[in-house]
Amino acid sequence: MQTKILLDEDEMPRRWYNIQADLSAPLDPPLNPKTGAPATPGDLASIFPMELIRQEMARERFIDIPEEVIEILRLWRPSPLYRARRLEQFLGTPARIYYKYEGGSPAGSHKPNTAVPQAYYNRDEGIERIATETGAGQWGSAIAFATSHFDMDCTVYMVRASYDQKPYRKMMMQVWGAECHSSPTTLTACGRSVLEKDPQTSGSLGIAISEAVEDAATHSNTNYALGSVLNHVCLHQTIIGLEAREQLASVDEYPDVVVACVGGGSNFGGIAFPFAGDKLTGKVPDVDIVGVEPAACPTLTKGLYAYDYGDEAGLTPILKMFTLGHDFVPPAIHAGGLRYHGDSPLVSRLVRDGTARAVSVYQNDVFEAAQTFARTEGIIPAPEAAHAIRTTIDIALECRKTGEAKTILFNNTGHGHFDLAAYDAYYAGRLPDYDYPDALIRDALSRLPKVG
Amino acid sequence: MLDLHTIGLVVNPIAGMGGRVGLKGTDGLVDRARILGAEPMALGRAIEALRPLADRNLRFLTAAGEMGETALRAAGITRCSIVYHPSKPSTARDTREACLKCITEGIDLLLFCGGDGTARDVADAVDQTVPVLGIPAGVKMFSSVFAVDPGAVEAAIPEDAPLRCIEAEVIDVDEEAYRANEFRTVLHAVVRTLAAPGLVQVSKQVFEEVDEERARAAIGAFIADAMLPGILYVLGPGTTTAAVTLHLGLQGTLLGFDAVLDGRLAGSDLDERGILTLLDSVGEARLVLSVIGAQGFVIGRGTQVCTPAVLRRIGLEHLVLLGTPGKLAMTPTLHVDTGDPELDDAFGPHLQVVTGYGTAQRKPRAIRTRFTDPEVTFGKNRM
Repeated sequence: MQTKILLDEDEMPRRWYNIQADLSAPLDPPLNPKTGAPATPGDLASIFPMELIRQEMARERFIDIPEEVIEILRLWRPSPLYRARRLEQFLGTPARIYYKYEGGSPAGSHKPNTAVPQAYYNRDEGIERIATETGAGQWGSAIAFATSHFDMDCTVYMVRASYDQKPYRKMMMQVWGAECHSSPTTLTACGRSVLEKDPQTSGSLGIAISEAVEDAATHSNTNYALGSVLNHVCLHQTIIGLEAREQLASVDEYPDVVVACVGGGSNFGGIAFPFAGDKLTGKVPDVDIVGVEPAACPTLTKGLYAYDYGDEAGLTPILKMFTLGHDFVPPAIHAGGLRYHGDSPLVSRLVRDGTARAVSVYQNDVFEAAQTFARTEGIIPAPEAAHAIRTTIDIALECRKTGEAKTILFNNTGHGHFDLAAYDAYYAGRLPDYDYPDALIRDALSRLPKVG
Repeated sequence: MLDLHTIGLVVNPIAGMGGRVGLKGTDGLVDRARILGAEPMALGRAIEALRPLADRNLRFLTAAGEMGETALRAAGITRCSIVYHPSKPSTARDTREACLKCITEGIDLLLFCGGDGTARDVADAVDQTVPVLGIPAGVKMFSSVFAVDPGAVEAAIPEDAPLRCIEAEVIDVDEEAYRANEFRTVLHAVVRTLAAPGLVQVSKQVFEEVDEERARAAIGAFIADAMLPGILYVLGPGTTTAAVTLHLGLQGTLLGFDAVLDGRLAGSDLDERGILTLLDSVGEARLVLSVIGAQGFVIGRGTQVCTPAVLRRIGLEHLVLLGTPGKLAMTPTLHVDTGDPELDDAFGPHLQVVTGYGTAQRKPRAIRTRFTDPEVTFGKNRM
């Protein structure tokens, strides 16, 4: 019986899929944070290369992957598609469970899929340095890896709490030649202002984004790069779903359900958009697409669909998305990659339109599922990926009740080798089940002025 | 924050004697314990804790003989003054008097050796004037003021650094009931102890939110921001709920029930009738209560005015629970005891507790069993 379904290197997709082509109506435009008017390419040119700005607004269905990018992606792509037979047997489910494994990339997650093209386009337009932020370090290590392949400098603003408590990814960045600072820093006006107000702050992703954007905007040789949320980031990640669709087709399968965790939305978009496209164009109208988010930060399930800032200081374009408010600092769940107040405008739109749906799960339930997965399939998943595993298991158990033999595809975005302290806390009974006080937040938000 | 110069030491010489001979406590049973062959153990535990402190630049104030002096001398500590002479044999009154004498003379930290019973006597004397730290030597140590073991005492007292303090509950366990396999606790007092994660029996979390005061202020600001006009907010006792009135600039009562309407105090230190009367004059209300750390009661201890009538009138869906992350980390399950089992059941298997600005945790509620076996009601029943 086949366990790994593999594509040859020359079968790797040569084009990314742009779901904007298949939306019933265009996305609401991003707004300039200063004027509130729709952002123009010129507004974004101080921090992004023109080709990425073009991709951000592109409406064509496919965009070619540059040859130089494909050469680097070959280091780990195409990624394997696994049939999780041992998990199926353990659950006693008639469902067939497949997963894409993105943990084999040099940085150990799906993030290099977009880090490499972003570094490429910046280098191509003469940019010498990338400034970016990172939470727990997944994105920071990916962009450090990518810039090292294009002889670029890289400055990473890492959220202080993670910088202090999760040193290994910081070390990876150093190995790949990047400079990593504990954010907030005294290097930026935004960082200094936060530190002045609260020297003991543990930092947040929103603050780190503000620092990186300021760094890029104030240095002509430097651009900003974002690891999630934006359209072009999701676009680059669609290589995951495009490969998966080919791999499933080679064993005569097409998923009934596609599951992925959602933080900023890029891995979700990556695996789900090709299938969502099939749904939007009527090819496969009933595929069930499920985003899984932490109960502590339930952007899609409990947030508002509205214009909001992408960062703390309000420097990024204002985006129409599901949001918990740009000043919301989510609690310290171990799935650091899912601690973001907003969500990709594309993912938000699909959820708003009912093309995709979202569920939220609690931290201890997530680690229980991660353990089940590790003990059956072997791979110790990152806490982020384990959110998708939790919901996959829940759907498979539902199939056991109903007798339905659904085909479930989920995205296993990375390994959890740097998250073992979180597993340790789980075993010690020290993981709080963070929750979201939505009723009170609704009351609090109703008193705040509207953004945008 | 305090600079540490002087430490008061009070040892309860008979603490822990009942434990080894199966008496589940020593209150009123010293003679019986002695007949059963129990030997004093507090002295040894105190010496174990004090010996590593001999090289530190500290000064001690203590009581004569077995209430402190003996242990200090055996530990090789000479910089000490005797400030109190106990009666023979010493009693709980001597513990309280010795503490008061130390405080009067001026100390920065009160170190005591004993169990929950001793902690209770110490708390009666010190209130919140100085932080306390327990050398664990009792039979029961459910209060959150004890070092995890005597060896942890030295590390819990920072050298050349100000003391960081955290609020801690002193829990009163009914020894008679405990001997009959019943676990009945009440919150006896709130004192200050050292914030030393991993060393003192409190939160072991090392996340970004352990600072109790910050957390309380954030909770207070969040609840205040979420207050809507025309809705009555009934606030229960405790420092966490008091952070709400503090944020609003109102003068609430720390131990009683207050009510806030449209940003103003609508009533303070209310009883059941007072609350019901206020409820009659408004449409909607919220009941804001804080979790009692460690033992986990949200209703039923110190909240007697929240009668089933009050709860039903406000509606369980309008109950807002507050608790700092540090408190919740040492509180495995929450308890609800309204006096009406049917109403208790309506609370469901989980409760949401607000822990910061816009953040919360889900905690399991202990499901009441017919007999109160501590293993059942306080054990690992996480869902």
